[in-house]
Order: sequence, then structure tokens, then C-alpha cells
Amino acid sequence: MTVTSAGTLLALITLVALVTLVVRPRGASTVDFYLAGQRVGVATNALAICGDYFSAASFLGVAAAVYVSGLDGVWYAVGFAAGFVPVLLFVAAPLRRFGEFSIPDFLGRRLASERVRLVAVGVVQIVILSYLVPQAVGSGITWQLLVGHGLPGLSAYATGVVLSTAVVAALVAFGGMRGTTWTQAIQFLLLLGALVWLAAAVAGSGFHYSGAVAELSAEPLANPVNDEAGWHLRPENNHLDPAAPATFGQPGAAYGPLAQFALILTLVLGTAGLPHVMNRYFTSPTGTAARMTTVWVLGLAGLFYALAVMLGTAARQQIAAAVDDHPWLEELTVDGILRVPEHALPVLGRIYGGDSGLAVVAAGALVAVMSTIAGLLLAAAASWGHDVYERHINPRATQSQAVWAGRASTAVVAVTAGGLAIAMQPEEITPAVPSIVAAMVTWAFAIAGSALTPVFLLAIWWRGTTAAGATAGMVVGGLVSVSMFVVGALPVGPGIGEMLMTPTLVSAPLAALVTWLVSRATTAPDDVERQWLVLHGTAADRYAERLARLTIAGPGSAPGRPGRRRRRDADR
Amino acid sequence: MRTGSALLAATIGGTWAVVYLVTQVLVSPPLGVGTTVAAGTVASVLLVLGYPSALRGPRAPRALRPLSRRRIVVGGHRMPLRSGLTADAARRTATLLRPLLGGDAVVITDRDLNLAFVGPGSDHHQAGGPVRAAAVRSAIGTGRTVVSRRASTMGCDAPGCPLRSAVVVPLVVGERVVGTIGVFRTHDEPAPRDQIEDMASILSLHLELAEADRERKLASDARLDALRAQINPHFLFNILNTIGSKSRTDPDEARQLLLRLSDFFRYAVRQEGQLAEFAQEYFFVRTYLSLEQARFGDRLRVRYDIDPQVLTAHVPVLTIQPLVENAVKHGLADKVEGGTVTLRARVDPLTRTTSIRVTDDGVGMTSDTLDALGGGEGADGARGGVGLRNISERLTALFGERFTLDIQSTAGEGTVVEVRVPLR
Amino acid sequence: MEHDDDGVDEHDTPAEVDATFRTLRRVAITHVVLFLAALMGVPALSLTLGWWSDGRLAGGMSPGFAMAAFGLYAFFLVIGLAAATLSSAVEARMLGGRHDGEDDGYPEDGELR
Repeated sequence: MTVTSAGTLLALITLVALVTLVVRPRGASTVDFYLAGQRVGVATNALAICGDYFSAASFLGVAAAVYVSGLDGVWYAVGFAAGFVPVLLFVAAPLRRFGEFSIPDFLGRRLASERVRLVAVGVVQIVILSYLVPQAVGSGITWQLLVGHGLPGLSAYATGVVLSTAVVAALVAFGGMRGTTWTQAIQFLLLLGALVWLAAAVAGSGFHYSGAVAELSAEPLANPVNDEAGWHLRPENNHLDPAAPATFGQPGAAYGPLAQFALILTLVLGTAGLPHVMNRYFTSPTGTAARMTTVWVLGLAGLFYALAVMLGTAARQQIAAAVDDHPWLEELTVDGILRVPEHALPVLGRIYGGDSGLAVVAAGALVAVMSTIAGLLLAAAASWGHDVYERHINPRATQSQAVWAGRASTAVVAVTAGGLAIAMQPEEITPAVPSIVAAMVTWAFAIAGSALTPVFLLAIWWRGTTAAGATAGMVVGGLVSVSMFVVGALPVGPGIGEMLMTPTLVSAPLAALVTWLVSRATTAPDDVERQWLVLHGTAADRYAERLARLTIAGPGSAPGRPGRRRRRDADR
Repeated sequence: MRTGSALLAATIGGTWAVVYLVTQVLVSPPLGVGTTVAAGTVASVLLVLGYPSALRGPRAPRALRPLSRRRIVVGGHRMPLRSGLTADAARRTATLLRPLLGGDAVVITDRDLNLAFVGPGSDHHQAGGPVRAAAVRSAIGTGRTVVSRRASTMGCDAPGCPLRSAVVVPLVVGERVVGTIGVFRTHDEPAPRDQIEDMASILSLHLELAEADRERKLASDARLDALRAQINPHFLFNILNTIGSKSRTDPDEARQLLLRLSDFFRYAVRQEGQLAEFAQEYFFVRTYLSLEQARFGDRLRVRYDIDPQVLTAHVPVLTIQPLVENAVKHGLADKVEGGTVTLRARVDPLTRTTSIRVTDDGVGMTSDTLDALGGGEGADGARGGVGLRNISERLTALFGERFTLDIQSTAGEGTVVEVRVPLR
Repeated sequence: MEHDDDGVDEHDTPAEVDATFRTLRRVAITHVVLFLAALMGVPALSLTLGWWSDGRLAGGMSPGFAMAAFGLYAFFLVIGLAAATLSSAVEARMLGGRHDGEDDGYPEDGELR
């Protein structure tokens, strides 16, 4: 890494830190944006949700997946973006209206059962851990590329892992980094900015998207492998049509027919069960605002992923063409194809922007990773500290004991995630999956989508869900999905392996079925009717809107002024 | 956006144009004709089906639905039981429900007495008498529905009693059985059980709401008293003074202030429970400050530093506005050039606390006054009003030791009051 | 100007909420079926329809790639927006209809001045 890129990186990170600390709304009018559904407030909350959601997997992993597998890699992008549609349709508004602070809180109060709450805490912690490990892996890989060497005694990869988890854990535990709406929103804007800059640089230099896809699909898709013959290119098998070669623009380079659907479905169902994202829904002022926030998220996510896919394609074409002009690419590539696909975006940045370009992309990646790690650590530590420690271990905890419980759990979770990331040598798993980071995040989605989403949906939309049913459903969903991909990680053969890695096709319906059956056999909680009023009625929303209107109206507004008629009156 | 068939026709035309463009013109080789037509047809059908709901929303539901097997809607009528399980309410409810429950006679009881009996047999099944029917007593005792076809269990000792079958469903509030509703018939086949159980659960809900209403009224009476005793009369006096003086020169603004004041009190007295959403407290603070700013003018400056996440957290009711009031009254009122009040609110998800800080750069307090601050005495406004001790007591009652209330002050420089409560 | 006392006390009756809930559930299921059909349809078409992968759109991409690379995201946004506005309209119509035509004089949507 040169001085220029180090300098740019440092400057960018400092800028972000300054902006988030200094720029803060001061007047009454800016807070008013958040009262009951004002558009700016909804948009900012959407930015914050995106800040939590978009991680290394989205930024580096999707482009890497597209780079390696072409169209099959694009399914990651599609799945990640699509996940918010079920959230909008089924979860957003009722979750907010019920008014709890986390998924275990919600399920525990809805089903009136402490056991449900504890099981949900367990599942949530597993999901958080499986989402954390790929973040650490992503930062290790970025550090490896950015700096190239590590602290004494550690490899570059291990240094990256340790630094990112340790720094963020320290900031969260002691530095007061609490993931406020502002900081998350600004961090996402930086991430989006880096991506947009890169896309503009690529497009500006004469990149033709359609033409590139055609050109890349003209020849068989081949990727580097390292075996007895050393590093060389090996063509991918076409899982859909074994007779024909796999190409960039056609599906089949990585997944067989069933596995294509399984992957997408896993990602779609998993978003609703992601704890750190769902926790942000509780801060919308009304249920309706929560819904509109999700619409904004869909728009932002669509933009983000469309750009990422385009950049993955550009990387495949441009990096191969650039090897001659950039000698530093020699050691990273084999015949013009990168050995580690996650390097795609940073390398592209360096090609188009020199060292500063690399720094911009690296800053984006690091910011994405750190803000997601912070959100995950907060969710995990708050859950350990509140759900487990304060409610069960030490109900008479004082304020400072609670603080230390939170800090201790942050440290433990961070160390566990870092340790797992280091133990898991990425090079071992790389040949089996298009992008190691995206694949690992898929596990988190698989567990969330199998154990949490079915129970969630049933609890919100069916009165008959019972505590016993929910517990059974969560346990079944979690166990089946975990065991399926433990089996899939073992060498079982090409098509089956991918199938098992995305077990939601089997485990989610199973969990739903089990929940339904067990709930039929047991009795529902007593106050279901009253909960229904809260979940699906808008009385609290209307009160909040009314209060917001009264708060915002300044002393100068005249009562006789004809305001716009309420929207429900106008039949337009 | 105009609705109507013209728009639908235009959309369908546009869809076909797009389909044609995409499959025939832009793509080479073009898609086969059969598949293109199929795709276009599917798109058009979906559009036509989805059009009414997309542009108009579903039709408004009819107010009263005909009696269906599973659900009973007594739409439009205010359920008399909302006022509690009294004889009068029971009689009106029984009369109201009798045509809907598929039986001939309806009885409503509480745990000990028959409150109302409507229908054939009401001459000897006396309302007001003690519950004698074994079926009813069994329902009260076990908390389960009782279906009976034997006249002997229905408390009929009169020989000419026409009633033959009974369904008795308990009315349950929380976990207690508070009464029953029974439906009798003059023939052997008992009334459909599902409908009556549905109705019983609706009635139970109304009874539960009635209890909650009662408790709320008690609580709010207490709170009203507290409020009355503690609202600083000077605040009221000063505002009314301002309103009065402006009513000549600027009647519009005077009217505004009056409305704001009435809003403030309307919402202040309608408290439910001890905790309120921060957004509501924020409303109080804004209202209060806009009233005070009308009086102080430029001398009172306000800054807000509120994280949106805190707007939906629940905080003890009427704790923030009094702190702000203290800051204005005692910090800034005596300072000639005025000053700034800052309200800062944050949520800490790691430790699950809500923290609120009120800062002013006014005259501050000496350490003696700081000590005496816990007193909260005096109706004449000298460090009185809603005393900090009152707030502290309420916080202790609500949270035990899990809160902090910090006051720091430097004479001549200002005061900082910080409250930290668990996140609810 | 008179302030309706009940205006402060917003509540819904169980029957209203139940009817709204059933309608919204129907809306959600309809939209999710549409959503899943389109989502699963893109890989399904690549398995069944040759043109989906072989056709060349504007000089390079196949329709399948174009859908996956940007068409689907636009579709998600549209379907999300449609479902959100429809659900909000349903709720506004079916709940809280007590205060028809009341104009309390405060600006709608809290327009700032």
C-alpha cells in the first residue's frame, strides 16, 4: 500500500467520523421530520436500515459472486433485494405497532411465554454470529489486499480480522458508538457514494454493459483453481446443461436447477428474521411509516444491487484487459482472472482511480463492515444483557452491573466471531462457492428464514399460534437448517452440496407445518383479541399522527386556515 | 389521477406496446408469436383484475353484516356492558342479544345473582334472585361452557317451564370468571355453541375495558389532583397575562396562545398509566416552550438534540416538561440577556436506557440551593412547582434503583440535569 | 371552535380491526403470490424458454440477464409501493372513520411554514 492510498483512506475515515459527530440536527424543525411519517424522517430511517443491512456481503460479496459465476451470482443480488418485500407485506407495520424492542421481546409478549422468548434469543444469537463471521472474513480479505502484511506474528488476513472486530467492539462497548440513526444513515451514504463513484468511473471510460455481457458470454466461463498443477484456469461445469459449457450470461455456472430456486428463496425469507435490521423498525413513529420506510429501502436496495451487478460484470471484463498495463495485477490474477473474487471491486477502484480509487473503495467496504458489525454487536449484547442477564441471572441488577454485562457480552461475541473467522481459512472453501462472504451470509439468512420467519408470520397473521407451537417451530426450523448445511459442507457431490447449503426450501415449510400442528393441539394466549387491536388496528397511529400535527404546528398558524382535506375523505 | 375506463384502456394499450417492443423489436431473435401473445394476455388479465383495487381501494365494508355462522357483529350499537356488569346493563344487553343468539331466552348473571332474564320463562326465573341453576354454577366454577338438555339443571322448579335446553358460557376477565351468559331454548336441541362463545368473548372484552376504564379514572383523578396541586400558578398567571395583553394588539396570536394552552391541558389530563411515549412528552415541552417564548421573546433560545430512536421510547409521564420549566424559570428568568435551553435525548441500546439531559446556561445554583432542591415546597414558586423530589419519588416507585437523576450546577454558568431510565 | 372530547381518545372496535385484518391479509397474500411468481419465474423461464437466454437485447444481454440485473429491482419497488399504498388506503378507510370531515385547523401532514 502506498502513502497516497493510506492517506486517502485515513482522510476519508476521518471525514466520516467528523461528519457523524459534528453534523447533527439542532433545531426543533429537524426533529419534527421524524414525527409520524414526515417524508424526510422516513427516508432517513430507511437509510439507517440500509446502513445496518448492507454489509461486506452486499458490497464485495455480490460483485464477487457475479464475477465468478455470472448470472448465477446475480441471484444473490436479487435475493438480498427481494427480502424486503415480504417484510413490507407481512411484518413491517404490525411489528412496529406492537411496540417491543427486539424480536425475542415481540414473540415473548405476543405469545405470553418466557420460554418462547428464550428460544428466540438463542436463535437470534446464532443468526447474529453467522452474520458476524463473514463480516470479519470480508475485512480480513480487504486488509490483505489493502495493506498486504500484518502485525508481527499474524498473517495479513488475521490482522484484518482482529483489527476490525476489536476496534468496533471497543467503540461499541466503551466509545458510545450506539448506532444512532444519523451515524448509520451517513455511513450508508458513504457506501453508496463509493459505489456510485466507481460505477461512474467505469461507465465514463467507455464501458458498454450489454456489449460486455455478450463479449463475456462468447467464451466458456473459467475460474482459477490451485491444485497439483499450480494455479490455472478451469472451465466451470454447466449444472443446467452438462453438454454445453457454462457462460457468463447464462445460468448454470454454479447451481443446478433446484438449487437456483433454493438460493433465492433462502435469501427472500431470511431478511424478515434478521435481528439487527428488524430492531430498527421499532423506531418508526407509526406502522404506516414503517411500511413506507420499507418502500424506500426497496428503492435504495434496488439501486445498490443493480450497480453492484454492473460492477461485477465490468470487473470481469476490464480486469482481464488491464493486466498488461498494471503489473501489480500479475500476482493477483491467473490469466487475467482474479484468484480471490472479493478483490474485484477494490482492484477496479485501483485501475480507475489509482491509489486514491483503491482507498475510496476500501473505505466504503470498511465502513460497511464496521457499521454492520456494530449493529450486530449491539443487537447481540443487548440481548444477552437484557433478555438473559437482567431477566434471569440477576434480576436485581443495578445500572452499572447492567452496563458491564452489556460490555462483557460485546467482547465475548466479538472474540468468538473473530476466532471463527480466523479458524475458517477462506482458501479452503473458495472453490466450492462463488463468493465465500456471500455464501456465509446465506447461512445466516437460512437460519433466520427457517427458524424465525415462519413463526413470525404465523404469530402476526394467525390468532391460533401458541407458545408451544412457536417453540416447536423455531427449534425444528433451526435444527433442520443447521444440520442440512453441516451435511452439505461435507463432500457429498456437486448438485446436492449447493442444495443443502440453502436448506430453506425444506426447513421453512417444515417449521411452519410444525408450528401449525402443535398450535392446533394447544391453547392460544388469553388476550389475543386485545393484541389484535394493537397489531392490526391503527388507533395508536392516529393518535401519534394527531399529536405530531399539533406538535409541528407553530404558534403562527391560524385555526381558520383551510387545511388540506384528510386523505380518507377525498375519493379521487 | 383520473380513474375510469379510459385509463385502464390506455394502460392495457401501453402494456401491449411494451410487450411488443421488448419481444419483437429490441431483441434479436424475436420471440415466437404464440409466446408473445400469451405473455401479453397474461399481463392484460392481471391488469384488469388488479385495476379496481389498485386505483380505488376496496369498497367500504357494509356496516351491519348478516348473521354468519362464525361471527357476530353487533355493529353500530354501543355495547351497554362497557359500563360494567350491572343489572341495568345486563338487561339491556340481554334484550339486545336475544334475537342474535339463536335461542328463546337469554340470561346474564354475575358470580352470585341473576342479573337479567329475558324471554319465555322470565316469570319464574327471576332477575335479581340468586343463581340456582346447576348449569350456571358449574360454568362459574369450572370456567368452561356447559351444555345441558335436562330441565333439572336449569333451575326450573316451576312445572310449566317451557325451557328444555341450555348453553351457558362463562364471562372471563383476565383469569377470573365474573359472570355467565346463558341461552335457553324451548326445544331439545341446544343453541349453536360457537356463536354464543364468540359473543361471550366479545362481552368479556367489554367488561375488561370497563374495568380498565374504572381504574384509569381512579388513576387520573389522583393525577389530576396532583397536577392541580403542583402546576405552578405563576405559569398560568403569566401566560394568561400575555394572552390578555396581546388580545388588543394582536388578537390572532392571542387566540393561538389560548388554543395552545387548551391543547396542553387537554392532553395533560388524559394520561393513561405512568409511562408515555417520548413523542408525547416532546409535545408538552414544545407547547410549553412556545408559550414561554411568546412571553420572553428573543431572550429564550431553545435547542433540541434528539435522536429519532428515542421518540418511540416510553418515559415516565410529565417528567421532562417540569425539568425544562425549572431551567427556564430558575435558570434564565433572572438573566437579563436571556439564554439557551438545550434538550438532549438518546437511547442506549447496549444498556437499554433512555437518557434525557436538560441544560441551561443561566444563573446556575449555589451548592446550598442544590441541597435544598430536594424540598419541592412552596406554592409561591420559589423552587416549588413540580419539585425535583416529586420526580425522584416517582422514578423510585417505578424503577427502584435502576435510574439516575443527576444535577450539576455552577453558579453563574448554568445547570445540567440528567435523567437516565430503563428503556421501555 | 369546538374540540370533540372523543377526538383525543382514539380506539378501534374489535369488529373493525378484524375486518381490516382479513382484508389486509388478503392483500398481502395476493401481492406475495404475484411477487413469488415473478421472482421464481425468471429462473424458471431460463429453464423452459430458449428465447429467454438466447435472445439478445440491444446488442448484448439476454432478457433473462436484463431482468436479473435491473428489471426485477424495479418490479420490487413497484410492487412494494403498490402494496404499501393499498394497505394504507385500506386502513384509512376501514378504521377510525368516526371523524369524517373534521378539520381541526392544523395543517395536514404537518407542513412547515
